[in-house]
Amino acid sequence: MVGKDCVAIASDLRLGTQALGISSNFQRVPVSHFSRVCPSLTICQVFPITDRLYVGLPGLGTDVTTLYERFRYRVNMYTIKEEREIHPETFTHMVSSTLYEHRFGPYFIEPVVAGLSKLPTGGLKPFIAAMDLIGCINFAKDFVVAGTASSKLYGVAEGLWEPDLEPEDLFETISQTLLNAVDRDAFSGWGAVVHVITKDRVISRTLKARMD
Amino acid sequence: MQAQVQRRTFKSGMPPVVDDDDYHCSDAMWGSLAGFGSLVKGVPSFVIPSVPDPAAFLRLHTDDHADPSCKIKIQHGTTTLAFRFQGGVIVAVDSRATAGSYIASGTVKKIIEINPYLLGTMAGGAADCQYWETYLGVHCRLHELRNRERISVSAASKYLSNLVYSYKGMGLSMGTMICGWDKTGPALFYVDSDGTRLKGNIFSVGSGSTFAYGVLDQEYRWDLPDEEAQELARRSIYAAGHRDAFSGNTCNLYQVKEDGWQFIGNYDITKLHYDWAWGGSW
Amino acid sequence: MASADGGAYSYSLTVFSPSGKLVQIEHALAAVSQGTTSLGIKASNGIVIATEKKSSSILIDDSMIEKVAVVCPNIGIVYSGMGPDFRVLIARARKSAQAYWRVYGEYPPTKVLTQEIATVMQEATQSGGVRPFGVSLLVAGYDIHRGPCLYQVDPSGSFWAWKASAIGKNMVNAKTFLEKRYNDDISLEDAIHTALLTLKEGFEGQMTEKTIEIGVVTVPTVEELTAGKEGGGTGRPRPTFRKLTEEEVKDYLAL
Repeated sequence: MVGKDCVAIASDLRLGTQALGISSNFQRVPVSHFSRVCPSLTICQVFPITDRLYVGLPGLGTDVTTLYERFRYRVNMYTIKEEREIHPETFTHMVSSTLYEHRFGPYFIEPVVAGLSKLPTGGLKPFIAAMDLIGCINFAKDFVVAGTASSKLYGVAEGLWEPDLEPEDLFETISQTLLNAVDRDAFSGWGAVVHVITKDRVISRTLKARMD
Repeated sequence: MQAQVQRRTFKSGMPPVVDDDDYHCSDAMWGSLAGFGSLVKGVPSFVIPSVPDPAAFLRLHTDDHADPSCKIKIQHGTTTLAFRFQGGVIVAVDSRATAGSYIASGTVKKIIEINPYLLGTMAGGAADCQYWETYLGVHCRLHELRNRERISVSAASKYLSNLVYSYKGMGLSMGTMICGWDKTGPALFYVDSDGTRLKGNIFSVGSGSTFAYGVLDQEYRWDLPDEEAQELARRSIYAAGHRDAFSGNTCNLYQVKEDGWQFIGNYDITKLHYDWAWGGSW
Repeated sequence: MASADGGAYSYSLTVFSPSGKLVQIEHALAAVSQGTTSLGIKASNGIVIATEKKSSSILIDDSMIEKVAVVCPNIGIVYSGMGPDFRVLIARARKSAQAYWRVYGEYPPTKVLTQEIATVMQEATQSGGVRPFGVSLLVAGYDIHRGPCLYQVDPSGSFWAWKASAIGKNMVNAKTFLEKRYNDDISLEDAIHTALLTLKEGFEGQMTEKTIEIGVVTVPTVEELTAGKEGGGTGRPRPTFRKLTEEEVKDYLAL
């Protein structure tokens, strides 16, 4: 979700095989986590890419790990070769082209990117984007959603989101959106994590959520 | 007036599904009788779609196990349990109703109060359970009036089982436990839409039943004190509500004693989770 | 066998001579220094690259000759040496720039593209059955990260960033001239004039808009940069590298 000079990205923590919930604390890298769906194990993890750039990877568990490692590799190579941090826009295109390379046997992941991008003026602009599993990018000015609860998230977000929210208000909005949407989705829940990315820091909080 | 929908009769051997009484006094004239209008004949009647195989027609559009993209998603997914013990019968259920992955309701009453001495649980098709167990209640009352004594749990459950058996293959979906107290003491029967009817001490039905059985089997004893039995039921439903995506929200708990059933309480499964301080430690 | 020109070692590309040289690469440099002079100057607000465009006969239609090439909207290259080799390198550079665009949704920074070209040129010094490229390049470009950059790439595959450089036949004189004329605060307009003056040194024949080619890198304003960034930045950026038209060259020559 986009706020005033800030963005927020949130995810639930459930790792499940269809109806069976398996884990609710699949911690990886500083922060991580899960949700949902598809044929086999499904989760969503949120990973930091740079200080002001996060990616959420909802989908098949094994693909979450594999894709994250791929992105880590590619981002590190980029950083070394270009001697600069990757921008959110550039990273989004990189994710998209990685997904489309597997057009005919895709990774079961629908990534969400959130970060602050540098403006030519030197300022920072909120940036969010989501992709389908073969890399069609959806740039949005308000919010993006993905995962088993996506249809429910749209409904709540549509109702709660408003422009130019300050970090704390954005935190409340994205938290309520996630929590309430997830309560209507059988395959999501089991805890949640929220990151609000601002100019000078990232606020990360784990939410107390429904556990059924 | 004959209803607009075309009706067909079944070949011999199939249940009579058309009520000829409608010719003389239609539903429209008396207001809807919700299918209970023909008790005189013992079996209610239903409007049947005018296709060669109505059961297959229904299955085609509602069976989301075979085809997850089917247009009509009948609500299902549940955890229910009941067990007999020294203090009577404990009945506990969750309250979640799902249609596909959508949680349609978190406040469903899955224990049906058939009469003050009989409880029925609801798993499978919500409408099927609600309808037939209410219908069963009507007949239990008629039995009382005719015989000047309450129907036994055994007889009531057999009545239900025979009834659903006559509709076998037509798409009814129920997995129910009939719980009560009669001359024989606490009684518990499992009845499902396949026609199965089983007498037993412990049953659990629904998508979360395996999780419930896990807790239940570990701790169950006949001589469990009332308090502990209730706690065991709560914990079993909690386990299922936690692990099973299609079960959850709240737990409804009843106990049947000699003088009839008693509602013990409604418990939020998430609250139970945090009360027992298991939060986040799985 | 062992003679002053490298002897047997001068034929096998991938074998060092006892003195530690790959003689074929030196020969390639010799080919470059026979080519027409090219030069580049980095100014405070842009870069100019220029070259002499000489045809061996007046019968040749010189409008077909292109020595300053656009690689992508932010990068241009000029060369001295063998034209056909340059054509191959430009094709590779353009492909590389498009491949980068396909993956990242933006054109490569000058340094990254230069590295790509340099790698292609280096491979030709270490592979069997090929010869080194007979060209030196001046790569001029603009990117947000580093701003305007000017690189020179040699047949060996080595490359450096320059404030001003010259390659080709008149390289030594041109560099001396540039060293005298260059200062860090030079404006793009002044740099274009300096480039023309440098080319004039040792220019054979008449210097007209038909016999020279000029390319310039301009630094976009903040507004221009922001304009292309809306909605995730997939909009095509305004070019920062362009070739001057014959009219523009004519105007500069007239001053």
